[in-house]
Amino acid sequence: MRTAFSDAIVAAAETDSRVLMLTGDHGYALFDPFRKRCPAQYINCGIAEQNMVGVAAGLAKAGFRPVVYGLAAFVPLRVLEQIKIDVCYEDLPVIFVGDGAGFVYSHLGTSHQSTEDIACTRALPGLTVLSPSDRYEVTAAMQLAFESKGPVYLRLGKSDRGDVHTGPVSFAAGELLQVRSGSGRVAVLATGSMVRTAVDIVDGGLVADVWSVPSIKPLDRGALEAICAEAESLIVMEEHSVHGGLGSVIAELVAGLSRPVRVCRIGVNDRFSRYCGTYDYLLREHELDAASVARRIAAFGVAAA
Amino acid sequence: MTTFDPLQVRRTVLRMAYAGSTVHIGCAFSIVELLTVLYRSHLRFDGHDPRATGRDYLVLSKGHGVMAQYACLHESGCLSAEEMQRYFGDGTRLKGLADAHVPGIEATTGSLGHGLSVAAGLALGAKLGKTDQRCYTVVGDGEINEGTIWEAMLFAAQFRLDNLFVLVDKNGFQAMGTTDEVIALGDVGGKFAAFGCDVAKVDGHDEGQIDAALVSMKAMQNGRPKVIVANTVKGKGVSFMENDNRWHYTRLDAGTYAAAMAELEGAA
Repeated sequence: MRTAFSDAIVAAAETDSRVLMLTGDHGYALFDPFRKRCPAQYINCGIAEQNMVGVAAGLAKAGFRPVVYGLAAFVPLRVLEQIKIDVCYEDLPVIFVGDGAGFVYSHLGTSHQSTEDIACTRALPGLTVLSPSDRYEVTAAMQLAFESKGPVYLRLGKSDRGDVHTGPVSFAAGELLQVRSGSGRVAVLATGSMVRTAVDIVDGGLVADVWSVPSIKPLDRGALEAICAEAESLIVMEEHSVHGGLGSVIAELVAGLSRPVRVCRIGVNDRFSRYCGTYDYLLREHELDAASVARRIAAFGVAAA
Repeated sequence: MTTFDPLQVRRTVLRMAYAGSTVHIGCAFSIVELLTVLYRSHLRFDGHDPRATGRDYLVLSKGHGVMAQYACLHESGCLSAEEMQRYFGDGTRLKGLADAHVPGIEATTGSLGHGLSVAAGLALGAKLGKTDQRCYTVVGDGEINEGTIWEAMLFAAQFRLDNLFVLVDKNGFQAMGTTDEVIALGDVGGKFAAFGCDVAKVDGHDEGQIDAALVSMKAMQNGRPKVIVANTVKGKGVSFMENDNRWHYTRLDAGTYAAAMAELEGAA
């Protein structure tokens, strides 16, 4: 995923000199190709993320296309007010990239983990929120971000869990991508790293449709209504708090439907990581590994075939 | 003829504040001369084409002084007399803090410590675009409590933004008291100099001194950001408002309005 991201920004910068890459002194090695090929468009703003976002706003006003890179714990979380006032209020075309979202930095602890960034960003008017699940979705998301006339938050989570798609994809803002077909009675809606987990569970025997949701905001209401026309149960999976993330988005939309649909929200249960360990350890601790998720789905009353 | 007369600007501010029954009068009065000198003699800005390519930028980082900028934008032809008179009316767009949706206002401020970073981005944009645009920004001395001010100055020095002019409105007050009482600033000019800036100190109500500092600093194209520390008086121009921090919050009534206006007219 990170290679796809690097390739996308290099390609964008080489074709458009207005594209600038801003980093808060993060992304060691990730930006080597960019620095080599587009050195004049690379700006290390130092360990000062709030200033970086203000600078990005100024550059966007001056006609540039800034891409602001940081760890999701800092961009967007630490700089949320700058994103709101300096960028979103004027609908400036700034792309924010929050890397390492979720529990990627499993050994480093709470300061570097981010399970509330979707909730925070989706409340900002005009901000598109994208959460790709594999390298193909990253490439498509970057294309969508550069085509956008307004601000975009791109959430990058765990990047080495295997591809979801078998080849290049493209999606429009709001579009859902079906990656497995089941009976139609049960639909799994997942985003980011959890799409791969959903696919693994379905491949292991759960009969369900699996949809990747790379565009959390906007999210196409019509597409969800079409799924809900058949589905009796929705299972939403994300490496993010159950408060305010994709599960909340889906629950809010479903609440407006005339036909009742049950929604099982699987995410982080309103708590921090107490201990450190491997990424897989933290997923187990938060009951987001495949086995725990399968148990939670069964407890919800949806059984595997 | 547009002259950006400080007395006229103060009278306009007073009329707005009375019409809108609003606060922050002292904050606006302390920056009047800084703005009139900029608009009259330095800022390449056309009030009839406020988004013109190639313009100089003025970012009012201390958004609380925005009435003084509204008054200048009115003189520039940017804002109509009717709009000024309807200040704070329902459905009007001139807010109590600087707002970039208003023609002639470059950044949305009032949450302090934002404008200088945006100004640094505009100045860097001018450098990258190889234009000769300058970016002026007015920050309050209370505002420089904010850590982002110092992040921005480190950045501006690193990226050699000698087209960035920071005017510090050093009126010695912030919301709850004097700057010495709240967070003592010590040697403000020395702090900016230590961050790699060229620093000048002026009487912030002496237009000649302000103008001379800007003229000489514009000639110093040496990669260093420019800082003008302007010693000012909060509430300047009306005797009973000067150095009285209540005029950060107090609203005018008929009596105080008439008394203040009499002073501003009598001084003409």
